[in-house]
Amino acid sequence: MSKLLKRALKISLTPAILMIVGKFLGILIPTLIYDFEFVVQNEMMGISSVQILFPDTATTLFVNSISNLAMLILIAIPTIYLIIKTSIYQTSLENPRTVVKITRLNILKWITKKNTSFLQIFIWSSFLLISTAIIVVHTIQNMTYTWIGISSGVIALFCIWGTIRTFELEIAKIYPEESNYY
Amino acid sequence: MKTTKEKIKNIFGQILEPFALGLLALLFILPAITVMNLTPITKEFEKLDILGVKTQGDVLINLVGGSHEVFSEEMLNKIDEQSYSYSARLNKRGADSYSKPIMKIENRKEEDIKIFFFGQTLTNTRSMIYLIIDNEYLAIQDSKGETFDHEIEIPSGKTVTVFLALENLSGVQFSEIFDLSIKITE
Repeated sequence: MSKLLKRALKISLTPAILMIVGKFLGILIPTLIYDFEFVVQNEMMGISSVQILFPDTATTLFVNSISNLAMLILIAIPTIYLIIKTSIYQTSLENPRTVVKITRLNILKWITKKNTSFLQIFIWSSFLLISTAIIVVHTIQNMTYTWIGISSGVIALFCIWGTIRTFELEIAKIYPEESNYY
Repeated sequence: MKTTKEKIKNIFGQILEPFALGLLALLFILPAITVMNLTPITKEFEKLDILGVKTQGDVLINLVGGSHEVFSEEMLNKIDEQSYSYSARLNKRGADSYSKPIMKIENRKEEDIKIFFFGQTLTNTRSMIYLIIDNEYLAIQDSKGETFDHEIEIPSGKTVTVFLALENLSGVQFSEIFDLSIKITE
């Protein structure tokens, strides 16, 4: 088995678990805080075999929105962290000014090679895109607040841009631009 | 030269590779399906007390939903136990009358209840806006933009369907947001 595949499997586990945990906690916490009445039903409805039922649309909308927001936050924060860290790390290798700024901000220990691989960013961004797709579909179906749909779309666009930038930086290591040398 | 142990390891690695690829795909597909499975849905469920007798409960207000060329982006939010807010986008339309069932109100209480309605659009497009309840037209906003509030009584155990109706004498080229406040008064 290739090392790349092993690493991809290892990296994918965390966002996959976080996605489910975020959604589950996002349903559980508001239900307990506001003491909402709910029923869990087991019935085959398309691909769904378990349904969480709430008695009115307003409660369903609120709980679904909060659970989608929790899922988005749990996936987006690590993704954004990885993109920012990689971006600063890569820039610091080429630009001494960045090193000076990092030293001034006293974050030299934080800017290390650890967690700056393209594969990791790509996998986390893919999970973020899946989460965003689910949230946007729910927003179109009026099952989630519009502002959550818009926020997830904006975050997803930022992460796509970050992933592409990281890819370009990785490619530049293998095929450096001639202008850098002449 | 590869040893026999290395050769066996290599063969196992090659056999496991397609399964690992499948597992990787599953790691992406399974969370997505689980999240969709966990999405809460609305369904009225029967309240049973310890004797197995249905208890009279609350007032239930639910969206009818569905699609309509003029009424879209319908939202019903519960503000507190007594107040709800409904909003919908009224799309561009020709000079005509339009109506759509927007919500069902069910009085599960043992006593009659009163429901108060107040609605308006942010911009005036010279449309008459009505609520139709039990074939009765209740003007919410007239063509000059003047608004009217209404209070209706719903007897115990009765369910009423509320229709939103629009009437305009000339075509409207812009969409507008219509907001409706609903308050339950005892």
